[in-house]
Amino acid sequence: MSKKEKIIFPALLAITLIIFFGLKEYNKPHVNVVKATPDIITNSEEIINEFQDNEGFANKKYLDQIVQVSGHISKIEASENNDIIITFLNNKTSFGTVICHLSSSENKELINLKEGQNIVVKGICTGYLMDVILVRCNLVKI
Amino acid sequence: MKYIFTIIICFIITNNLIAQDRYITKQGTISFFSHSPVEDIEAINNQILSIVDIETGDIAISVLMKSFMFEKSLMQEHFNENYVESDKFPKAKFTGKIIDIKDSTDKNKVFIEGDLTIHGITNKVKVKADIEVDNNVSLKGVFTVLVADYEINIPSVVKNNIAKTIEITFSLNHKKFK
Repeated sequence: MSKKEKIIFPALLAITLIIFFGLKEYNKPHVNVVKATPDIITNSEEIINEFQDNEGFANKKYLDQIVQVSGHISKIEASENNDIIITFLNNKTSFGTVICHLSSSENKELINLKEGQNIVVKGICTGYLMDVILVRCNLVKI
Repeated sequence: MKYIFTIIICFIITNNLIAQDRYITKQGTISFFSHSPVEDIEAINNQILSIVDIETGDIAISVLMKSFMFEKSLMQEHFNENYVESDKFPKAKFTGKIIDIKDSTDKNKVFIEGDLTIHGITNKVKVKADIEVDNNVSLKGVFTVLVADYEINIPSVVKNNIAKTIEITFSLNHKKFK
């Protein structure tokens, strides 16, 4: 092996590796909520209370986390893009509730859901407007 | 403290019940689009909260920055962590007025004027929108913002990947406040 080749081969290898890992990082998939274990397990009243008491603190705790929430269904509706939205029943002392935007792959299981039913939903918390918002949700238990 | 808050909220609700002109949506859509020679970036947010009063024309919109969904998770990560700093500024807000809601020459076109806050920076904006008022109040439109106006720093490495002007599309279908 000549001196030139000794330099070229490691250099090519390094470049290939950089491109490979670069592309892998660039195309990194979103977190799979269905398979992921929840970071926080709570219920709909507790999470809404925490956000109403201290939004900044709750933001730090919940934002971007996979949160598993249990509660009773108040309303099931479809958005304009045909995604399903479940609103949890709120407790009487407070205003606002938890709204879960479900992944489109979840639609089949929703035919059986009824208002008032107790369910468990897992999703990513994106924050609090009038209600706590969870996105990319899936049903854990009906 | 909590009781006072509840009382105030109840007050607002009853006020709303008396004034039957308020319309609300919690599922409005706002998307933005950045075109550059290197790549096109698009993100969509379906969790927009917007309240409009068709009597006075007042409008208030709240947006969770973390609710913007990107095609690639890396883009979403960079957007939240480096550009709009969602942990520091979790919400974008718009408060303003539909200025010609009563005397618009074209029945379906209005101008909305007000303060838009993104990344903690507030700027005056004036936006043209399509309006439809029947049982619901629908507002739709497109406008552009300059990234630099909101002091969002784009590192020079990715300068060519992100447009200087971002196109924002909104579609808010308000229902009567109950």
